Amino acid sequence: MSIETSHKSSLDANLVNAVVASTMHVMSTIASTEVQCKEVKAQTDYKPCGDISAIINITGHNGEGMLALSFPVQLASIIVSRLIGITPDKLSVEDRCDGVGELVNMISGNTKSKLSEQNNTLYTLSLPTIIQGPKHHVSTRPKNNPYLLMLFEAEGQTFNLQVSFKTF
Amino acid sequence: MMTFLIADDAGVMRKVISRYLMEMGAIETQIFQAENGREAVTMASKEAYSLIFMDWNMPVLLGIDAVSEIRAGGIKTPILMVTTEGEKANVIRAIQAGASNYLTKPFTKEDFEAKVTQLVGPITAPIEDAKLRVDLAEGKIRPV
Repeated sequence: MSIETSHKSSLDANLVNAVVASTMHVMSTIASTEVQCKEVKAQTDYKPCGDISAIINITGHNGEGMLALSFPVQLASIIVSRLIGITPDKLSVEDRCDGVGELVNMISGNTKSKLSEQNNTLYTLSLPTIIQGPKHHVSTRPKNNPYLLMLFEAEGQTFNLQVSFKTF
Repeated sequence: MMTFLIADDAGVMRKVISRYLMEMGAIETQIFQAENGREAVTMASKEAYSLIFMDWNMPVLLGIDAVSEIRAGGIKTPILMVTTEGEKANVIRAIQAGASNYLTKPFTKEDFEAKVTQLVGPITAPIEDAKLRVDLAEGKIRPV
């Protein structure tokens, strides 16, 4: 899926396409889960929520930002249990958190590889931070930073990925 | 007996790699785990593993620095970097530090098996376990 962005406050289309492609690639390759990107919102009052989220920072010579991946708990359990190769009922809370962290790590890593090749710049990732709690909202948007919300669908459920990235 | 050291701060990734190794023929007692680069260096200096799997981004000591320290200690064990750091510049950096090969996350089971086989050949289980497997397959013994 190719995303064209035109809003002043939105991110570069190359970045958006890299994130969407990376998300689909990671989910299908390591967790045997097909996902679809349903919507990309550049400017919205809608505050996405999830039961379990993983956040990662990305920094480079020409910019910095963050990615936040949020799942409903049932969907996180399905995807992470596939990753490990067990049934969802045998998945521990610790492994579920760890798995969501690893997913955002892989999506971010895959994205930054694409960006590095496009921009000829190396980016660095932080270790993921995990948040859990029913229907929480992750605020990833420092003032004036370009921001995008991406809604994905898998197994009939929706999960979201927020991206905030500012170039210097 | 072949032994494997998996260095990754994510317990889930250690489980994924362990599962793939066991599907290739390894048993649980052949697999050892480290949660950061420092642990990996310490363990690698005490035991001669057949293969070390090394993540890049780990707390305490980065995988790339752990590889350098392991090589500086004169340890020649093959090291497979298993990481999200897929940029060519980082692959070159890892090879220069002493990594034997490189596998970018996410990977398929087939990608994993190809890299492992390339580095250590087919995985063999300990003799006693191999004999048990044959006896089980031939019906000489039954599982409890």
